[in-house]
Amino acid sequence: MVDARFTWDSAVLNEVLCERQIEVRAEEIERFRALMGYPPSPPDAIAVAPTSMGLTYGLGLGWEHSIFPPGVVRMGDEDRFGVPARAGDTLTTRLRIVDRFERKGRRFLKYEMVTRNQRGERVCEVIFAAIMP
Amino acid sequence: MTSHTLPIPLPAREITISQELIDAYAHVSGDFNTVHVDAAAGRAAGFGGTIAHGCIPIEPVFASIQAWLGTEVLPEGTALRLRYRAPSRPGDVIRSDASVVRRSDDGMLATVAFTCRNQHGTTVIDGECDLQQPGVPDEG
Repeated sequence: MVDARFTWDSAVLNEVLCERQIEVRAEEIERFRALMGYPPSPPDAIAVAPTSMGLTYGLGLGWEHSIFPPGVVRMGDEDRFGVPARAGDTLTTRLRIVDRFERKGRRFLKYEMVTRNQRGERVCEVIFAAIMP
Repeated sequence: MTSHTLPIPLPAREITISQELIDAYAHVSGDFNTVHVDAAAGRAAGFGGTIAHGCIPIEPVFASIQAWLGTEVLPEGTALRLRYRAPSRPGDVIRSDASVVRRSDDGMLATVAFTCRNQHGTTVIDGECDLQQPGVPDEG
């Protein structure tokens, strides 16, 4: 059952609809680095997450399960990257619906997921539009 | 922006997609959408099986740009715009072909256009990336 706040007809715009806080662990960074072909972090250095790992923090909200009605088609992303995440950081990701529009007979919602670290610095921002059923 | 030395080709990069990679990415990201990890769900959704998370076939673009810059992370302020053209599936080999198509005279800004294709030549993702980096390289 999809929450009405996430449907095109009654979408709630510009309010935080999902939020998650995580602590970045070195072993998670190393797992991602190995998975995507990056060399391990130097043993004496604080592990730094590759830029593309920033995209996983929004996925971790679980938005695909809880807010997307069946039949939604994601069209593409506009991503902006800030400072890299590092082991020990506490990251907060928030999701909002920022726009609702119609084009060529199709209905779209535009979403924004912003991840910031404990200092308030932007780590990653993902904006994407999807065609709603 | 100047154009007399453009385009500058960037190093091509590839990623081979397997179900093991997709499953591992699900664990790293926490995204266990059934179209990624359950073949029956993927078939029911009309994909004929599982499909990769969109972030997996875009990884060669990051690798390509970072190899060009000689860094492991993109500069702060990097903006990436992409369109998903087709799903990527286990068994696919995704190759990123990228080149600098615009560059400021002072070398501080560069725009990279990229296309990710599978082994059949089908475009799965394309887009552009704006980089803010002092002294971006003159060559690929």
